[in-house]
Amino acid sequence: MSLQRLWLSNYRNFEGQEWLPSTGVNLVVGANAQGKTNLLEAVALLSSGRILRSVKDDSAAIRLGEDAAEVLGEIRGPGTELKVVLRRGQRRRAFLNSVGMAKTSDLLGRLPTVVFSNSDLAIVREDAGERRRFLDLELSQMYPVYLRHLSMYKRALEQRNALLKQVNHQRVEDASFEIWEAQLGEHGKAMREYRHRFCGELLVKASRIHDELGSEVLDLAYEEADFGDLTEALASGRAREIHRGTTQVGPHRDDLSISVNGKLARNYGSQGQQRTAALSLKLATIELIQDTLGEPPVILLDDVLSELDMHRREHLLSFVLHTQTQTILTCTEANQAGSEVQKDATIFSVRAGNVEPA
Amino acid sequence: MLFAKPLGDLISQLEKLPGIGPKSAQRLAFYLVRQPEDDVRMLSESLVRAKQALRFCERCQNMSELALCSICSDAKRDQTTICVVAEPRDVAAVERINEYHGTYHVLHGLMSPMDGIGPENLKVRELLARLGGEMAEVIVATNPTIEGDATALYLAKLLKPTGVKVTRLAYGMPVGGELDYADSATLHSALEYRREL
Repeated sequence: MSLQRLWLSNYRNFEGQEWLPSTGVNLVVGANAQGKTNLLEAVALLSSGRILRSVKDDSAAIRLGEDAAEVLGEIRGPGTELKVVLRRGQRRRAFLNSVGMAKTSDLLGRLPTVVFSNSDLAIVREDAGERRRFLDLELSQMYPVYLRHLSMYKRALEQRNALLKQVNHQRVEDASFEIWEAQLGEHGKAMREYRHRFCGELLVKASRIHDELGSEVLDLAYEEADFGDLTEALASGRAREIHRGTTQVGPHRDDLSISVNGKLARNYGSQGQQRTAALSLKLATIELIQDTLGEPPVILLDDVLSELDMHRREHLLSFVLHTQTQTILTCTEANQAGSEVQKDATIFSVRAGNVEPA
Repeated sequence: MLFAKPLGDLISQLEKLPGIGPKSAQRLAFYLVRQPEDDVRMLSESLVRAKQALRFCERCQNMSELALCSICSDAKRDQTTICVVAEPRDVAAVERINEYHGTYHVLHGLMSPMDGIGPENLKVRELLARLGGEMAEVIVATNPTIEGDATALYLAKLLKPTGVKVTRLAYGMPVGGELDYADSATLHSALEYRREL
């Protein structure tokens, strides 16, 4: 799967821009604040329906003085056209071959991508929410059914939490709790099965890659927040949770523990170990998507080379070249990518919201 | 002032309607004031008449002019089957296929604690009251959303002890739809609930 043509209209600092990336490595070079990341972000938007750099509302991603922005991509292969329309004050809309999709998340899986950015470190270093976000995103683009379970689970969770808060000022019968807990139990169990399997498969690949990167031992373990049957755990936790007004058990409380040489990387890892662990996880994800879908994902590298030491940078670049998949790599100077990549890559320059072949 | 006061008042009344934004409200208002007075009077009278004349059918809780609606009072309808729906418009949807000959029960909503809606806010007690006697089947036809599923589950738990048969609409592909355009959830449930040929 690769992106054949990208069309941006009033997206961030692009007024009207067509871009024809190559199917191999695309080196997007430009000084800061010229639009490199915006270009990469537009591709990620088509892939996931989400905007990488968190924005309060879509207005921030629409060019100043315009009402709407459009990102359109043609996918090589099945002749598919994906489109996302952002409009001030309105819901973001996604289209497949000009037919509106019910939710923007329905885009997931049409153009699988793996994004490398400076915020990857958060997966290893920050709280469990970051790791769950990583699991949810990667699983959603491989398995549409996972996405369905996830969104049903989230909705049922909001409903149960609302019910927990109601108990303080009115009587709620047990049967009202049971219907939401049955759904949380069903969708939560399915989510955990997918997550366990993914983490197991990821471990095999990530530990090998981690060893190649620095001869250290990486270990992953998916940890559930509760034991036994989830529906029962929810029922028995009810009395305790009424005081807090939030649900304390279920996959939304689970974690993926990441350790290096037997020690929890989050608490005891050096910055270098954490960075290597994050890199191993992302590279392993590429291999896993390739195994699962039969095709590698598009790799998006957002200005990550300057953060890595020479050894890790070379490993990452040789991995990318070896995968032979469409890659979009942004950097401020072309020579950051090394001579081997520069030889193979199609180079583009970005200046003030314009992309052109360099 | 942007509009003369009577026009402004009309626009702000229309804006309160569901699905009508400021622009549509303006367009409707301008259209209405340009119509012959008789037409406008007919519209306003039918609004008031509908409001005054309609009540809930005392059996199925659908909108009705009489104490019993036309379906509940129809001797040709199978009074031992009830199709439970969330809204009156869902009755119209099932009626359009012209193949269902039982009765209905309108809940007037779905369970949703986030919106403060529990079973006591729905016409659930009225449904239970209908079950005495020879009820053969209750078909739960709520939407396949999390709230629709939860409400169906609630009704199933509530009705099972009465011994009545409780069924739920099937999930599957839209007829005449293309596989490529089906959302994955629909396709997955269609696959899960496939049947042998």
